[in-house]
Amino acid sequence: MSRVYTIVKGHVKAWLRSKSTIFWTLAFPILLIVLFGAIFGTGNTRFDLYVQNQDLTANAPTPASQGYVAALNYTGAFNIQTVPAEMSNPVSYVRDDAQLHNRGQRLVVIPIGFQNNLTSSKPASIQLYIDQSDQASSSLSGVITAVTASYAASLSSSTVSLSVQQVPIVTHNTRYIDFFIPGVIGMTLLTSGVFGAVNTNGRYRELKIIKKLATTPLSKIEWILGMVGYQMFLAALSIAVILLFGRFVFGVTATIDIYAIGLVVAAALLFPGIGMVLANFVKDADGAEAAANAITFPMMFLAGTFWPTETMPTVLKVIANYLPLTYINNGLRDAMIYLEPAQALTNTIIALGLAGFFIMLGSVLMSWKEE
Amino acid sequence: MDNLSKKYGDTVAVNGVSFGLSKGEVFAFLGPNGAGKTTTVEILECLRAPSGGQAIVLDYDVGKRSDQSEIRKRIGVLPQDFNAIDRLTVRENIDYFGAMYDHQLDADQLIELVDLKDKRDDQFKTLSGGLKQRVGLAVALVNDPALVFLDEPTTGLDPRARRDVWYVIERLKKQGKTVFLTTHYMDEAEYLADTVSIIDHGQIIASGTPNELIDAHGGKKTLVIREAGEDGLKFLPSGISKPQLKNEGDIYIPLNNGELTNILIAIGQTPLANREIEVRRPTLDDVFLNMTGRRVSEEGEVA
Repeated sequence: MSRVYTIVKGHVKAWLRSKSTIFWTLAFPILLIVLFGAIFGTGNTRFDLYVQNQDLTANAPTPASQGYVAALNYTGAFNIQTVPAEMSNPVSYVRDDAQLHNRGQRLVVIPIGFQNNLTSSKPASIQLYIDQSDQASSSLSGVITAVTASYAASLSSSTVSLSVQQVPIVTHNTRYIDFFIPGVIGMTLLTSGVFGAVNTNGRYRELKIIKKLATTPLSKIEWILGMVGYQMFLAALSIAVILLFGRFVFGVTATIDIYAIGLVVAAALLFPGIGMVLANFVKDADGAEAAANAITFPMMFLAGTFWPTETMPTVLKVIANYLPLTYINNGLRDAMIYLEPAQALTNTIIALGLAGFFIMLGSVLMSWKEE
Repeated sequence: MDNLSKKYGDTVAVNGVSFGLSKGEVFAFLGPNGAGKTTTVEILECLRAPSGGQAIVLDYDVGKRSDQSEIRKRIGVLPQDFNAIDRLTVRENIDYFGAMYDHQLDADQLIELVDLKDKRDDQFKTLSGGLKQRVGLAVALVNDPALVFLDEPTTGLDPRARRDVWYVIERLKKQGKTVFLTTHYMDEAEYLADTVSIIDHGQIIASGTPNELIDAHGGKKTLVIREAGEDGLKFLPSGISKPQLKNEGDIYIPLNNGELTNILIAIGQTPLANREIEVRRPTLDDVFLNMTGRRVSEEGEVA
């Protein structure tokens, strides 16, 4: 094990002395977080609120329902988005649209018969779909209840009964930055893993360092373990920096659980494995680096690093399903942000499976001796 | 090494090579690029499997997997075009490669041996080509090997840096190390080696001490009269080997036994006596030329 430790230590020392690799591993992700955080923001003081008005007459909102929406709008507390009345599953629509536009996932549905009930003095209700974990839930439902009561009073009929029916919906009431931070972690693991392996197995081969090591008692498996250990170190360091930055600058609270750790371990095996496969097929170090660029950049964009894969065209969604980074990104979000252990487990298992496959393939293909 | 061969498809890189080394000697494996030197040495270093024949290194068979690990523990290797890790210092690189062995020599002792005390804490990438090669030598010695393989250790270095590397190899020789040196520099082999084997097209064409090879295949000594010009030819005595005019005026006269004195007496009273005169001894270059009809350039190519 002392040889493996020496390899890890040697790489870490060399890494610490390279300003460019430190930039790409630590500063670049932070820069991305700052840029994307600034561009897409972290939310505003108005509550995002989706409204679906199902109470129509002649394909137009009834006056009563329209008045209610106007009352909500009048408060200035809401950033109202309209859900088309014909949408049969408004909750699903809101989930997709909110993620796409980085909005809060809250929905008010004005049911069919709203105006009829009010005018015939029957009890009427509106439905508020809100996630209990939404930090804004209590103040938001308070505002809506108050608006509803005041609207009912304005109808000046003492018999009117209008209530808010709160329906829990499971949403990830996350801001864009919450979504983005695990993506940046995935991206960093991808680039440092693939490029790290390409560099050590391509460049070190060109510099005859691997040839020299192959004449010593060091075995191929010890060399690979050393490389993976180095990647684990880089992964732990960059994750710590990204999470601390996200916590203190953007208030992102991420959970580190067994799945998150499993995914990081998987990534530290998977991406160097891909890099080793590349370095084997493209023997020239510069060519291997170009191949690494050609693979990592599209993967970064298509695997849900910067935006949800659900928002991409169908053909790209299909491609995303075949990209290893998709499972790392999704798994990290499930584990760290959404707290959905079942989905995190699925992604972790897939990621570990892919990791096993690629590190084995890379190890078998990597020529330790000469041909 | 007995009848060793290595084939790549239909190409024969090494063809029935046999030779042996004595303990404590510097052995030079001499030949142009592509002659089969590196392939042979990499078989001995257990980096390549031979296609045929047998090679025993320090009493272990390179063809046996169980013996290979024993060989690796006992040999030191400086691969051709080797570079250490760029961002590690000289000392850190020595420690890095030293840690691959069960026991290693003290890094400072090695740094002193290769005369790099002043550069001990400098990063490898900041060193000149000659200094880098000396780090490579230190790394090759880090396990106190019984046999050191140095594959083209001075290729691409300037003359002074080459001399510095030669100096280190001489020190190894004084320490009693057995050194296997591959080179295409004839002067390097002649200067450093106790024994030389010349390889061409994958086959050994001559073996022996440098003097033995020169005496056997180097041809005659040559009298050179500098800047004599074509007119100088008329002052030469008759009955000598046919002189040649080279380099726009230098006269080259191959010498038979006893001829030198006669020629010097004959030209003593002529204008040639005022010219620069030297007796040129044949070199390994001449050996290679006489045996193959080709010369090896500075870059190791045959012409």
